[in-house]
Amino acid sequence: MNFNRVWAVTYKEWREIFRDRLFFAMAFVLPIGIFLAVGFGISFDVEKINFAVLDQDNTATSRNFLHRLMDSRYFDYKGHVQSERELDPLLADSDIRFAIIIPPRFEEQLLSGQTTSVQSLIDGVFPYRAEVAKGYISAIIANFNEQSLVTHSVSKFGITKQQAMAQVSPVRLESRYLYNQALRSQWSISSGFMMLVLMVAPPFLTALGVVREKENGSIYNIYASTISRSEFILGKLLPYLLISCLNIIILWWLVMTIFGTPFKGHPFFYYLASVIYVICTTGVGLVVSLLVRTQVAAVMLTIVISFIPAMLYSGLLVPIESMGTETQIESHLFPTLYFLRVTWGSFLKGLGWAELWFDVAALVFYAILLWVIGFLNFHKRPSE
Amino acid sequence: MNNHDFLLWWERIIAMTLKELKQLFRDPVLLLIIAYFFTLDVYMAGSGINLSLRNASVMVIDHDHSAASRELIYRFRPPYFDFKGEITGKNEAEALLNKGRILAVLDIPENFQRHLLQGLPEAVQFQVDTSNTVLGTLATVYAAEITAGFGQDFAGKRTDMNTGQMAVLPLIQNRYRVLYNPNRIDSWFMSIMELLTVTTMLSMMLPAAAAVREKERGTIEQLAVSPLSSLQILFPKVISMGMVILFGVSVCLFFIIIPIFDLPVKGSISLFFAVTALFVFTTSGIGLFIATISHSLGQVTMLVILLLLPIILLSGAWTPPEAMPQALQWAMYISPLYYYNEMSYAILLKGAGIDVLWDSILSLTALGAVFFNFGVWRFRRQFG
Repeated sequence: MNFNRVWAVTYKEWREIFRDRLFFAMAFVLPIGIFLAVGFGISFDVEKINFAVLDQDNTATSRNFLHRLMDSRYFDYKGHVQSERELDPLLADSDIRFAIIIPPRFEEQLLSGQTTSVQSLIDGVFPYRAEVAKGYISAIIANFNEQSLVTHSVSKFGITKQQAMAQVSPVRLESRYLYNQALRSQWSISSGFMMLVLMVAPPFLTALGVVREKENGSIYNIYASTISRSEFILGKLLPYLLISCLNIIILWWLVMTIFGTPFKGHPFFYYLASVIYVICTTGVGLVVSLLVRTQVAAVMLTIVISFIPAMLYSGLLVPIESMGTETQIESHLFPTLYFLRVTWGSFLKGLGWAELWFDVAALVFYAILLWVIGFLNFHKRPSE
Repeated sequence: MNNHDFLLWWERIIAMTLKELKQLFRDPVLLLIIAYFFTLDVYMAGSGINLSLRNASVMVIDHDHSAASRELIYRFRPPYFDFKGEITGKNEAEALLNKGRILAVLDIPENFQRHLLQGLPEAVQFQVDTSNTVLGTLATVYAAEITAGFGQDFAGKRTDMNTGQMAVLPLIQNRYRVLYNPNRIDSWFMSIMELLTVTTMLSMMLPAAAAVREKERGTIEQLAVSPLSSLQILFPKVISMGMVILFGVSVCLFFIIIPIFDLPVKGSISLFFAVTALFVFTTSGIGLFIATISHSLGQVTMLVILLLLPIILLSGAWTPPEAMPQALQWAMYISPLYYYNEMSYAILLKGAGIDVLWDSILSLTALGAVFFNFGVWRFRRQFG
C-alpha cells in the first residue's frame, strides 16, 4: 500500500467536503441535530398525566381523596365533569389520559366501615403509559387505604398507631434504583442516543460521499488511475472517520453537560470502543454505497439498515428481554446492541474492559467484516 | 376562466401527473424500498416490539428462609417476573446486575417472618437495574403491587380475617378499566406509529426528490419555458406521490395491520384516508420548500432527515404533549404529525368522528395551506 496515494485521496476528499458548505455543516449539524431532537423528544418519564374527575359523592372524604391525586406531581388535574357521557369525547380527543369516577355514598360507606370502590378509566393506546398510570393510581389508593385503616383500627380496637400500621401494611418495599438513581429516563436515553447517532450519521456521510462520485461520474477518474482499491477505500473513508471521531467527543460533551448524565467508566476505554464502533458504522456506509447508484437510494437504504435497527432492535427503547425469541436473535445480529451495552456500562455502571471485553470484541469483528465486504465488492472494472 | 381554459388546466395537471408516475415506476430500487417500508418494516415494528415487562429475571438474597419469605418469593413469577434462584451475597448480586444477567435483586432480611408474626413492620429491599427506564419503572411498579398484596394477605391471615371479612373494613377498591386497548397489545400502538412515521418520511422525501431531480438534471429549464405555471409543475408531483403513498397506506392497513395484528377499526376508514391525504399534502409542502433550498438530491435527503427527526419526536407518539417542556409544547402545535398522530389513533382505536376531531382537522388544514403556499412561492421566486 502506497500511503502517498492514500494521502492524496484523503486530501482531495477533505477539500471537497470542506468546499461544499452545506455538506460540511451537515457533517457536524446532522449528528448534533439528531441528538438534541431525540434527547429532548423522547422521554419515558410518566408525569403530569391529564385527568378529569366525576365526583358523584361530593363530600369532604371524596374531596380529600381527590386532593391526593391533584397534588401528586404525576397527575395534572383538568377539571370536574357532571356525567359519565362527558368523559368519552375528552378521552377520545386525548384531552385527558384517564378519568376517575367516585360513586355516590362513597363517604357514607367508608365512615360506616364498609368497602367501597372507585372506578378509573385509563386510555390504553400506549400500553406502557397506561400500565404505569395504573400503578400510580393504585399506589395513591393504597396509601389512602392505609391511613383510613389505621384511624379505623385505632378507634375501634384501641391499639397504638404503630401497631395498627404494622397490621395494615406489614411489609414495605424499599426500591433501590441502580445506575440511574433518579430514575431519569434522560440519563439512559441521552447516553444511549450516542449509539443511535453514531450509527446513523457516519454511514450517511460515507454513503453520500462515495455515491456522489458515482452519480457525478467522477469515479471514472479513480477507475482509470493507478491507485489500488484498498488505497482508494482507505483514503476516501479517512476524512469521514475523522469527522466521526470528532463528533464522538462533541456528543459525549453534550450528554454530560446538557443532559447532566454522569460518566462513571474509563474515558480512554470508552473512546477506544467508540472509535471501533465508528469504524464499524463507516463500514456500513461503504457497503451501502456499493449496493446503490443514486444518492436517494443510498439514503433510503441507510435508513433501512441503520436507523431502524438502531432505534428498535438495540435495546434502547425496547428492552431486549421483552422481545420475542425471533426478534431477540435478530437484534444480536446488529452491532448496535453491543455498543449500547458498552455505552450504558461506561456511563451509568462504571464498567470497564473486564466486563465489556466481549462486546468490544464483537464490534471489532463487525468492523473487520464490513470493511472486508466493502473491499471485496468494490471493483475498478464495473460490470456495465 | 372559461370552460376551455379550465379543461386545459386540468389536462396539463393530468399529463404531468402521469409523467411523474412513469418516472417513479422506472426506478425499481426506489419502488422496492417504498414497498419495504409499507409492508415488512411496519410488520417488524408491530410484531417484534414489546414495551412491557415479560419474564424479567429476578434473584433473591433470602436471609430468612422461612415460610413467609418463600411465599413472597413465590409471588415473583411469570408473566412479569421470572425467579432465577437464590444467591448468597451482595457482591454476587452486584456482579450479576453489572453484567446485565438479571434485572433485579430482592433482599429479604433476617427474622422476616418473626417480625411479621409479632406485628412489627418489615422492609424488603428491591434493587433494580434502571439503565433501561421502561423496564426499571415497570419492575418497580409491579414489585410494589406484589409486596403490598402479600402484606395485606399476610395481615389478613394473622388477624384471622379471610377475604370475605375484609369487606367490612373501610377500604377503597380500585376498579380500573383500560379503554381502547383492554389487553394492552403493544403491536397496535407500534404498528400504527411505524405506519405514520413511514408516511411522514415518504411524503416529505418523494415530492422533494421529484422536484430537485429536475433541478439537478437541468430539465427544470425545459419546464420553465413550457406553458406550465409553477403550480402546474409542482402540484402534479404532490398528486402523484400522494397517490403512491395513499396506495401504500391502504396496502399496509388492509394487508398488514388489520389482518395480522387484529386491529379492530373503531372509527371510519374513509375519514382516516381523508385525514391521511390532508397530511400528505401538508408535509409535501415542507418537501417542496426543501427542494427550493437545495441543489442536489444529497442535500435534499440530509435536510429531510434533519427535519424528520424533530417532526417525529414532537409528534406526541413517544412522549405526550403534557409531559414535554413548555417550549416544546408550543413547537408541537406547528408539527403536522402531531395532529395526524392524534387523529389516527383517535379514529382507528378510539372510534372518534369529525365531531370530536374538527379542531385538529382545521389546524392541519391551516398548516397545510401555509406550508404548501410557502413552498410554491419559493419555487416561483426561483424559476418564475
